[in-house]
Amino acid sequence: MAKSVMQTHKLSKKYGELLVLDGVSLTLRQGDVYGLVGRNGAGKTTFFKCVMGLARPTAGTIEIGGEKNSLHAARRKIGFMISPSFFPYLNPKENLEYLCRLKGIRTRGEVGRLLDLVGLGSVKKPFKAFSLGMKQRLGLAGALLGSPEIVVLDEPVNGLDPQGIIDMRAIIKNANTQTGTTFIVSSHILSELDLVATQFGFIEQGVLLEEISHADLHENTKETLAVEVNDTQKAQGVLRQIGIECRASGSGRLTLQSHLDRPNEIARSLINSGLELYGLHRQEITLEEYFLRLIGGRNAQHDQR
Amino acid sequence: MLNMIKGETFRIMHKKSMYVYFGSLAAGYFLVAFIRSGGFDEHSIASDAFNFFNFLPALAGGFLFAAIYADDLNAKTLTTLVGFGIGKAKIVLVKLILTAMFGAAAFALAPLLLYAAHAALGWPAAASTMTTVYAVSLKYLLITLGYSTLSGIAVYGLQHPTFAMVLFILLALNVISGLASVLLANLAGADLAHVFTSRMLSGITDRILSGVIGDSQLFLPITEYAAYLTISAAASIAAFERKEMEF
Repeated sequence: MAKSVMQTHKLSKKYGELLVLDGVSLTLRQGDVYGLVGRNGAGKTTFFKCVMGLARPTAGTIEIGGEKNSLHAARRKIGFMISPSFFPYLNPKENLEYLCRLKGIRTRGEVGRLLDLVGLGSVKKPFKAFSLGMKQRLGLAGALLGSPEIVVLDEPVNGLDPQGIIDMRAIIKNANTQTGTTFIVSSHILSELDLVATQFGFIEQGVLLEEISHADLHENTKETLAVEVNDTQKAQGVLRQIGIECRASGSGRLTLQSHLDRPNEIARSLINSGLELYGLHRQEITLEEYFLRLIGGRNAQHDQR
Repeated sequence: MLNMIKGETFRIMHKKSMYVYFGSLAAGYFLVAFIRSGGFDEHSIASDAFNFFNFLPALAGGFLFAAIYADDLNAKTLTTLVGFGIGKAKIVLVKLILTAMFGAAAFALAPLLLYAAHAALGWPAAASTMTTVYAVSLKYLLITLGYSTLSGIAVYGLQHPTFAMVLFILLALNVISGLASVLLANLAGADLAHVFTSRMLSGITDRILSGVIGDSQLFLPITEYAAYLTISAAASIAAFERKEMEF
């Protein structure tokens, strides 16, 4: 397993009486593209603010590159974009040159390379004349400046057009595969993160509900065959005779996770054995449904309390 | 710290409106000098220094304060500085250094502007007169630096650019110190108000000016001035440490 490059331990943040982060323990491993998923107001930005030292946690600890105490120095390994903030009177090149000086980056051509990468190489107008999409692109270039080990991106696809979204995704993937940059990217658009993330964390009302790998998430949401019959026990027996194991998933309903290519044979066997077959269809829960079930469960627990 | 000074210097030097603004100020002064040139004599440059430099903390200092402090609040780039791992105390100190650097440049050029205008109109100043003009300029540089540091408490404690700008301008135009003196004179009497006024930034810099061009002692007013800057900077750091970053 890859080494951890950033970890939080029971990180909490309160604003007055409002608990915005509630004991978040998150692990970011080297080479991950970690998708932090949550609804608006779930605590994603506050989590990033705490990590970047822009807000002081109420409780818990942050560890960056194994460093818990001297986080100022550790944060220099991180590039970040939390709502792109640049000087309105400087053009993109000047804004990045400013950041280069600030970070002590002396690599020749770094600014031009990044501006070309995000499609702003020929833009000369000042930041104040930028569209939201252009601001996001410059924000990404700023975050990647100096090839940091970790890049934090808060809602990077907000305001981007479809081409911009595709470009953003490609840049993240390339940086991750070519230079091994570790990303933590937040979004409330799960389908978008699904295309880049290798690891997911689901956050709701300040609580990290689940951390799950891309593979495991898809295992949990993969396609199944739903069979609706009048007698599930008898149907299980019939299907076992033709080599199919399945589980009952509610009254009158069976779910098959394999043999999805044998619906005709399954239907024939059930009808020939005298069972009433009410329905037989393929089903898949979407990532959004998975997320909603997850936060639904959390909210139900919360309501019961 | 050096990286931040380099970055901030680069940014401010690329603010095109700065050249337009200071160019307009210089052109405005040349125009006023030309209109008044019929009444000029060898003392005019010194009296101009006393009269016009009085407005420089608000006019020149105001622009520099906006460029060095308020631009960060408007563009929300303080988050960039802190997020890059630059300590808040370091940010406050670098801003103080930048104000001193750019202020020194502006207040060094202002006497040259006066000299050029008066020389062009037939009244070049003698070296001894220019010493006085530079001493007056130094006084207002110290005032600008002091009020910037004082307003820095509002910059970092409130992170509200308009409030910080208004506070700086009111301080630079002596509105706040004037009101405080009047209030104190009414409440506690003229003697106490006089003591208070002499301990305020304008009073301290007056005593420094007297020390530079006269023979009064400099150690005490310089110590008081240094205390002003140190206490204001420490209060700015404390306010910054307490305040959450605004987005």
